[in-house]
Amino acid sequence: MPAAHAHLNHEEFFTSLTTLLSTTSQKARGSVYLTQKPLIDPQQQDQQIPAILIRATDGNTSAANPKNTIDKKGISKNKNTNKVKLSTVVNPDELEAFYARYAEVCKAGMTGLKKRDRKKKNAKGKAGGKVPKL
Amino acid sequence: MPYLPTPQAYLEQSALLLQAYPDAVRAIHESDESGCKPTSTKYLMIIPRITTKYTFPASKPKTQKATTQPQPESQTTAPPTEEKPRIATLTLKTFHAGSGICLKYRTNKGAEVGRLITSLGKLAAGADVEALGLGGAGAVPAGAGAGDAEMVDAPPSLIPAGAGEGGNEGPGKGGKGKKKGGKGRR
Repeated sequence: MPAAHAHLNHEEFFTSLTTLLSTTSQKARGSVYLTQKPLIDPQQQDQQIPAILIRATDGNTSAANPKNTIDKKGISKNKNTNKVKLSTVVNPDELEAFYARYAEVCKAGMTGLKKRDRKKKNAKGKAGGKVPKL
Repeated sequence: MPYLPTPQAYLEQSALLLQAYPDAVRAIHESDESGCKPTSTKYLMIIPRITTKYTFPASKPKTQKATTQPQPESQTTAPPTEEKPRIATLTLKTFHAGSGICLKYRTNKGAEVGRLITSLGKLAAGADVEALGLGGAGAVPAGAGAGDAEMVDAPPSLIPAGAGEGGNEGPGKGGKGKKKGGKGRR
């Protein structure tokens, strides 16, 4: 496993994120957390638009479970802790291109959400139209 | 924890929150006991953070039921096949640690994903309420349906005031105060 805090480049990030989303969707359990926040260097507050730090994680923890991970020898075991944690930094000039791709990856990967249902929508529309008449 | 009714409302309030707190870093000068000699400076990051959570509901213990009801001869018990496909939910959360303000929006519609992420990109780029293009675009909120009535109220009060530079902070605070009420200060 690579160093935990190494930022990936965009290509690697999207590849890994696609895998993470699709495995989560296939299993139909678990979560994917995506966070974004400005990456601000306290020493350089002058920069107008900061770079954005994007993180993706499956929400698992690599910390030992205090209940059952300590064996007789007092050594903690981490059997099922394969935490996925991805991060990348997006510079201001790359934001638009990055997010266009980011949206595509998320759209394609989040297949566990409701699909657009035309019939249902039409039915709702009709019902909505009837209500005022009554 | 409050959930905003529409993606438009969520994005608007988030934009206002991001605008209201541009001072992302607060320096804390630590002094020695006499208080006259600064010993060190800590930087507290109080940047609004946006989290998008894509999650499936936790599985219910259906297997327990099967074991407690012994029906050895009937083959009618086939819970795995009857299971509906679990529908994931997408929860967007904007959290500002400095003020404790937390804005949320939850959806399970796959059709909204692309639009939401694109809007988050605009927020990341420092877009204000106007730049998000939520007020004018009639096509955008069409999918949301239910929240349209509220959206009619929101933009006129926020957009004109936000246009002036000097008024930026005012409407930001005012808008939030109106919407949040009990949210920020629980």
